[in-house]
Amino acid sequence: MVITLAKETPILDEQDITEALRTENIEIDLLITAIKEKLGYDLSGYARASIKRRIKQLVIDENVKSISELIPKLLYSAQCQANFINRLTVNISELFRHPTSFLSLRESVLPYLESFPRRDIWIAGCATGEEAYSMAILLEEAGLLKNTQIHATDINTDVLKQAKTGVLTKALNKEDATRYQASGGTSSLSNYFSTAYNKHKLSQHLLDHISFSHHNILQDKVFCSAQLVMCRNVMIYFDLNTQNNALTLFHNSLVQNGYLVIGEKESLLNSPLINLLKTIDEPAKIYQRKSSEHV
Amino acid sequence: MSDFRVFIGGSAGSITPITTILSSLPDDYNLIITLVIHSSGGTKTSMNEAIASNCALTVIEVSDKEIAKANTIYVAPGGYHLYVENKHSYSLSLDKKEHYSRPAIDLLFTSAAEVFGKYCIAILLSGASEDGTEGLLNIKHHGGLTIVQSPESSQVDIMPQSAIDNGAATKVLTPLEISRLLLEYHNRT
Repeated sequence: MVITLAKETPILDEQDITEALRTENIEIDLLITAIKEKLGYDLSGYARASIKRRIKQLVIDENVKSISELIPKLLYSAQCQANFINRLTVNISELFRHPTSFLSLRESVLPYLESFPRRDIWIAGCATGEEAYSMAILLEEAGLLKNTQIHATDINTDVLKQAKTGVLTKALNKEDATRYQASGGTSSLSNYFSTAYNKHKLSQHLLDHISFSHHNILQDKVFCSAQLVMCRNVMIYFDLNTQNNALTLFHNSLVQNGYLVIGEKESLLNSPLINLLKTIDEPAKIYQRKSSEHV
Repeated sequence: MSDFRVFIGGSAGSITPITTILSSLPDDYNLIITLVIHSSGGTKTSMNEAIASNCALTVIEVSDKEIAKANTIYVAPGGYHLYVENKHSYSLSLDKKEHYSRPAIDLLFTSAAEVFGKYCIAILLSGASEDGTEGLLNIKHHGGLTIVQSPESSQVDIMPQSAIDNGAATKVLTPLEISRLLLEYHNRT
């Protein structure tokens, strides 16, 4: 067996490593406490591995030496406070993400929504708005937009500001068109956007049906009573316990027989909430609140 | 089940060595294996199928908070970063790409190092980016074993060479030698 010895890097013994990791965990807990006390946001239920990565990125961006040095910045710098939460949350979105789910919504869920004279849809964790825009397009094509209000909420005030404008953060591209078609769309996606200076803005009559509001899934109450709640790729940032709290909130928000849609790689398997929901389409991640007599 | 965990990262040119390594393992292989492969678009499912069809172990694309079970290979889903959340489960995120890639090998390796420490066996294969070097260094730092595919046996040697040049490799091996080493760990327990 050929073994090439690489350059030696110092290897700490196990004792030192455990101690270093332990110290780092203390620092993270202290920072999370400081955030909660100073800004009112409780990040203690966030999944540890990814929040740690983002905190460490903040250490680099703020040019400090350790996680605990972020604490005085957070406490004394108004500039730092202003966007601290925004920098610790993730805001990736795209039009018609997970087309399988939108196709199934079109075929299985919209006919149910049609039976209501008025409809409320809650998009929890809307990021830069693409999910809400996609939903508006879907409803428009089904002739259901007229009496529908889409409530789009997020914890991040920066992205809400962006989402409200209706302007896409990236120009429409071929991948958007492909996902739209895979979602059952037969028109042209560009029909729903106006173009100026190479920016695409959602048509005003669609945007008029979406309201954007600040809401914290972990600390605020049910945002509205809804026939459909969509929350995708938000719960991946929470630990299991916190996911259950979020799912309970969504369940409470749903009318009887209302629908819940979660992210492509999210799962209800580890949640007791699975007993209160009926699976409509597992690959599409669509579930339905059971009527209370079935619970 | 062994206390040791195997973490494999591969990019361009890594499917052949991955197949060589995984096809040599028995269906009761007792180290849990986790895999991040950079994918270029929508061929992910067929790639997972290719791995599964050449391997006696169950291959699963990870869902968020998935609980790791014995005799299984866990693969990062395309478009998501994969982390080791704790000793029992994984988590996913849509954090920004690292080294132009999501999933990124560095994120899996680094989170694995912090959870499994000296029980990590990390393997970095053929590829065209510098992803994996930082993760291997973290694993090495925490007392784990770091193995890099030999540049001569790699279809694209940039990724292995980067790890070697930065002192991240404990062993530099061919895919066949890596298979043999993984079987030794299996036979130990």
